[in-house]
Amino acid sequence: MPSLKTELYPEAASRHSKTSEAYRKAKKAIINEWISGLTGAILAMFICGHLILESSILLGKDAYQWTVHLLEVTLPIAKPIVILITIVFFIHFVWASRKIPGKFQDRKRMMELGKKIKGSKKLWNQDKKLETSLARHFETSLWIWQVRTGMIVLATGAFHLILVAWNIFTNMGVSGQQPGLSADIATSRVESGLWILYAVLMFAVVTHMAIGVYRLLVKWFADTWFVRKYSRTLFYFLFWFYIVLGIATTIGLAGPWEGLLS
Amino acid sequence: MERTLKFKIFRYNPNIENDKPRVETFKINETPRLNVFTALNRIREEQAPDLMFDFVCRAGICGSCAMMINGRPTLGCRTLTSDLPENIELYPLPFFKMLGDLSVDTGIWFRGISEQLESWVHTQKEFDPEAQEERMDNALANKIYESERCIECGCCLAGCATAQAYPNFLGAAGLNRIGRFIMDPRDQRTDEEWFELVSTDEGVFGCIGMMACDDVCPKELPLLEVFSYIRRKMSTVPLKR
Repeated sequence: MPSLKTELYPEAASRHSKTSEAYRKAKKAIINEWISGLTGAILAMFICGHLILESSILLGKDAYQWTVHLLEVTLPIAKPIVILITIVFFIHFVWASRKIPGKFQDRKRMMELGKKIKGSKKLWNQDKKLETSLARHFETSLWIWQVRTGMIVLATGAFHLILVAWNIFTNMGVSGQQPGLSADIATSRVESGLWILYAVLMFAVVTHMAIGVYRLLVKWFADTWFVRKYSRTLFYFLFWFYIVLGIATTIGLAGPWEGLLS
Repeated sequence: MERTLKFKIFRYNPNIENDKPRVETFKINETPRLNVFTALNRIREEQAPDLMFDFVCRAGICGSCAMMINGRPTLGCRTLTSDLPENIELYPLPFFKMLGDLSVDTGIWFRGISEQLESWVHTQKEFDPEAQEERMDNALANKIYESERCIECGCCLAGCATAQAYPNFLGAAGLNRIGRFIMDPRDQRTDEEWFELVSTDEGVFGCIGMMACDDVCPKELPLLEVFSYIRRKMSTVPLKR
């Protein structure tokens, strides 16, 4: 009896080869995705730890000094981490930004869709009981904000990284001073007006990190027990926890709340 | 109290020379359990005989009446006017070929996707009409069925900002379709073949996770689940020797 399938459709024989153009293209796509995702995950974990350690100023200058000593002297991980994070930071920028539409025209089209849905919010919400109500599409707006905050982090974060690297590796031109960070340096810097930069960086980096974690989890694990609902809850938790902690720490470093919790 | 509904409907017929895109307003009184599909039929009967829109089944099965209702891509037949404010704005779906007024051709796109992804079961087994049907695990059969429920209305693509910027993107409907065949044990295509097909920037790695498809899908398909299944399955392929 003749095979019914092959008369109508191409044969199911494998047509692929590992040297084919399609295979190489597919491999490139997945490697790019891995690089942007993994560097993002590393940076997110780093930021979570960094902000917790930074908040030691809320326990007073001594606690901050103790943390600095721990990282620079007891476990000398400060220098390698600064180098590593700087590299990962720029890799993440290059690979993650490939998803931003290159043409201004395309970006405009994306924004228009978001705006249209945004405009519909008011109309839909005239009746609060609506089951079908769709506010401005939240996750689409989140992505647009992730791009914006990413650009802010690129500018302010690069400055911050270079400043800290200078601090850790040199004595900043002050003769007799040891290279390394100290509570006095950190607080004087923030007090002198740089708090504006740190506040902007903190807001941008926390927003970017929380959105990125949410999206990464949904993209890779939505079919496991960790469904979208949990990722979303985690997003809200990360965002609010680190925003509150970040504000408190910035005020702590600027003076008023120093040693708030001690 | 009976409301008077104001329908602001996008009008444009590309087949008429010098026709200008415009928005026309129609007023009708709201009757109990009125849906957008019935309202459009009334408008066409009573006020605008040349109004173009698609419908077939009026039961959320055919996917023809998908349109932008107050900014949200959804099915006209499944949207009750009682859930909407008095002002209702209707636009055709973006992304697809415009036929006129609210009517778009989703068929061209879906046919293209079907051919590109070769969305049929590829097998070399000869068909034996005497044999019993092959057995399949119930959980798996249910999963395949969930993906298979797609009615190809195109709402997921209309709500997807990525598809708006990259017209070659497979979109939720395309990825869901191919996910259904990857899951199916009867399809004999190898992992490497799937890999070439979907592990691209037009495929699953083109998705940037805005999740609008999942939010607007009128059939509530588990789209995000299918995407992450494909993602993880694809990520082990290049590691194999």
